[in-house]
Amino acid sequence: MKQTLKALIIEDEELARNLLKSYLKDHPSLELIGECENGFEGVQKINELKPDVVFLDIQMPKITGFEMLELLDHKPEIIFTTAYDQYAIKAFDYNAQDYLLKPFSKERLLKAIDKVQERIDKGERSTNRLEQLNTYAVEEYLDRIVVKDRHKINIIPVDQVRYIESLDDYVLIYTQDGRHMKQKTMKYFESNLNPRDFIRIHRSYIVHIEDMAEIQQYEKESYVVILKDKTKLKVSKTGYKKIKESLHF
Amino acid sequence: MLYYGVFWLTIGLVNIVVQNLWFGTDLTTAFLSAFPFFALYPILGASIWFIIKYNSLEEKDLYWVLLYHLIAGSLLNAIWLYLGFIFIKLVDESYLQILYDSLPNKIFSGYVMYTIYVMFFYTINYYQSLKEKIQKEAELKALIREAELNALKSQINPHFLFNSLNSIASLTLSAPEKAQEMVINLSRFMRYSLQHDQDEAVSLADELENIKLYLSIEKVRFGKKLNPVFDIEEGCHRCQIPNMILQPLFENAIKYGVYEATSPVSITTTCRIKEKHILICIENDYDPEAIRNRGEGIGLQNIRQRLSLIYGSADLLKLTDNKTSFKVELLLPKTIPA
Repeated sequence: MKQTLKALIIEDEELARNLLKSYLKDHPSLELIGECENGFEGVQKINELKPDVVFLDIQMPKITGFEMLELLDHKPEIIFTTAYDQYAIKAFDYNAQDYLLKPFSKERLLKAIDKVQERIDKGERSTNRLEQLNTYAVEEYLDRIVVKDRHKINIIPVDQVRYIESLDDYVLIYTQDGRHMKQKTMKYFESNLNPRDFIRIHRSYIVHIEDMAEIQQYEKESYVVILKDKTKLKVSKTGYKKIKESLHF
Repeated sequence: MLYYGVFWLTIGLVNIVVQNLWFGTDLTTAFLSAFPFFALYPILGASIWFIIKYNSLEEKDLYWVLLYHLIAGSLLNAIWLYLGFIFIKLVDESYLQILYDSLPNKIFSGYVMYTIYVMFFYTINYYQSLKEKIQKEAELKALIREAELNALKSQINPHFLFNSLNSIASLTLSAPEKAQEMVINLSRFMRYSLQHDQDEAVSLADELENIKLYLSIEKVRFGKKLNPVFDIEEGCHRCQIPNMILQPLFENAIKYGVYEATSPVSITTTCRIKEKHILICIENDYDPEAIRNRGEGIGLQNIRQRLSLIYGSADLLKLTDNKTSFKVELLLPKTIPA
């Protein structure tokens, strides 16, 4: 038997929302439980209403659709709706169920919903698949990192990051005013931060070059990096090589 | 400069040799008679270059130029004769008599040489400025091409075009007459740059009309989030400005102001006459929390380059970031130089 799908729209343009709503209006097995104008609202509503499927725009004010996904506790099925296909590969990395290019037809939308429904009916829910995120470089380096601390969403410009430390499945991002936890891999940051500014000096550390004050040898062939605020971080052999290459000494 | 020296040195040496071999003049006499013409005068003559540089024939009255050259020529002549006199006196006083005998001759040839130099330098100067002009025109053409291309790109900018088409799709269901209006506006906007791609200059009125079209299209998308305000002083409308110079500025205002905002954003355009100039000011609010790389994009660079080529001045475009609003000021001469 077909389950009724709970759906949420996250889209900043009113006319685009209206179009989606009118397409969904008389769908027999889909119930629209809410709509949001930006990613901040999106995080809140998804965690609160726990929809089965989310229609998500990518380019939105404050935070992008991708950044919003990184902040979710509850992971629904995602159908991206966007005007531009430069994100197609990235969306695929985020395990999007489907990817609709605006303007799209009602038939195309219904097909996307059918696919989602089929998967859900078969019990193939992709709840935790969002975590195996893309590990290879996207076309541009990150200029900001979005984190959620309790109930507040923080946008950290990458130039405020001092260093990143790995912690099991998470990373700790250290800035001037504290640290933030995020569910991402070191590999992700290593390939998505500009290597001109950040070096992976150790399995557990990525350092902002600007914040490095000193490199000290404390044993034969082992080094520590001392940051401007006196924090000491271990450097691995390959890490030392990378520092040497990047700072040319 | 090097060629100039080598040239006169060669001529001088040839002259001495010819005098010596052909006319049997002894070397000292030959040297002394050649020196003022082929060494001293060329050295002094180099200064004529600067005289003509600041007295171009196109910019000043012909009488003034003639008078100027008469004075400069006489002065130069006097200096030349005096230096020649000192020189001969230093080398061998007995030759002074020859100088006195040929003084009228020398003065006359001094003026002849001055004239030849002036004509020669004017020719070089003309040739150089012609070359510069051709190069400048080519550069300008390339930049206009680029501006055209950017304008076209921004129209088929996927975010602009496809989101606009999506708005139209939505309006066809909810408000068909508005959808029709938007299709018409979109067509007019796209047609404008195709029409004007050949003209360098357009009236501010035409350009603003096009900007209003652009904003009205974006207004359909963004609704009350976009609030355009125009305050145009009477008399600005007829001013000529380079075409497609405003559109990228408004595009930036939308991109950085409206797109990142969740509350209404005003884009305020003011135009004022400032004596011989027109001041166009575009100011938009923006959300200081929205972090975006605000580098000077290709659009702004192109505008800067074009302005400096057209008006010969690099500081006509001023950007001011007040942390909550961003202001672009364009101070343009009322007319475009030919």
